[in-house]
Amino acid sequence: MFATVGKDLVLHLKFGPITVAFNPATLGAVLGISFLLLVLALWLRRGIPKDPEAVPPRRFAFLLALMDFVENQVLSGVSEKLRRSLLPFIATLFLYVLTCNLSSILPIPGMVAPTQDLNVPLGLALLVYVLTHFYGIRAKGAFRHVKGYLEPIPVMLPMNIAGDMGRTLSHGFRLFGNILGGAIMLAVAIPVLLRFMHSPFFTGLFAVVLALMGLVLRRWKKTLGMATFSLGIVLLVLNALEFVFSGVGVARFSLSALMVGSVASFFLNAFFGIFAGTIQALVFTLLAAAYIQVAAE
Amino acid sequence: MGPELVQALKYLAAGLCMGIGAIGPAIGEGHIGASALEGMARQPEMVNTLLRNMIIADAIAETTGIYSLLIAIMILFVV
Repeated sequence: MFATVGKDLVLHLKFGPITVAFNPATLGAVLGISFLLLVLALWLRRGIPKDPEAVPPRRFAFLLALMDFVENQVLSGVSEKLRRSLLPFIATLFLYVLTCNLSSILPIPGMVAPTQDLNVPLGLALLVYVLTHFYGIRAKGAFRHVKGYLEPIPVMLPMNIAGDMGRTLSHGFRLFGNILGGAIMLAVAIPVLLRFMHSPFFTGLFAVVLALMGLVLRRWKKTLGMATFSLGIVLLVLNALEFVFSGVGVARFSLSALMVGSVASFFLNAFFGIFAGTIQALVFTLLAAAYIQVAAE
Repeated sequence: MGPELVQALKYLAAGLCMGIGAIGPAIGEGHIGASALEGMARQPEMVNTLLRNMIIADAIAETTGIYSLLIAIMILFVV
């Protein structure tokens, strides 16, 4: 169970009385992703044309679109004068968390998303927490920034401090919980599905549903609908063969189970890896920008 | 109590924790989605802002659900 979530690899190192636990899989993935992003940044930087009037090459257009997305979508809630100074940090944070989340769908053995390890999201949340104080002090001065903790009445000081800590913790735990939950769903759902696959009833049902989906889809997307329909029919035939031969006592013909399992795993990975990963990266970055904006106003 | 009973109660506790803990976030996210859709239908030019704020609000409403997920995971695998 934990092998698929990568928790069985944790090393415990003792330095005198202190025990430090770290996960080599996470460490390797984090370093690899940092290196990848560094290479991407240098590659994109080399694509900036010397002549600003010329038609932008494709690489530069990609960079422009990316920065435009971060500046106008992610940072649209941030005040104008803070936006430019926050842009590099927020863009880096977004790309980093996004790559970390998406890395879980890579078919590398032992590869887990680094954000499944609590240390990574919590470390990023602490980084954002330190930056809220930096921007708060820069915008209002140290005295008024600290005085903000005594608002609206001085009795609220413990509440404000607890709120700060809770906000940072929930910021980190939200990303961690979402990604870990998705990974556990993947680790649990596929074996359960494959267990169902041993019953010809479920594979047959799946094949019929797939064929019907193809028939409905054919009205809008002809080739895709036909492909889905024929996949369903092939699965149904395989399933019937499997049912017949397993009755006769021939060894189980599990090709249909394999196909059903891979189709299901494709959709599960697409949802939990790509969709949820992108949304959570966006949410993490949006909240970071919002926290910094609140501290600086 | 025998170890089987402890194991069974653990599974029961994790299921209850996740099931009850998911009610609140579900209601909250439903409200947020409904209000955001209402706003989008009324003012289609605000769709970008509304969508962004809806995602942030969803994420915040989801926090308690994530807490119960973490507690359920801890009950199952750590305790």
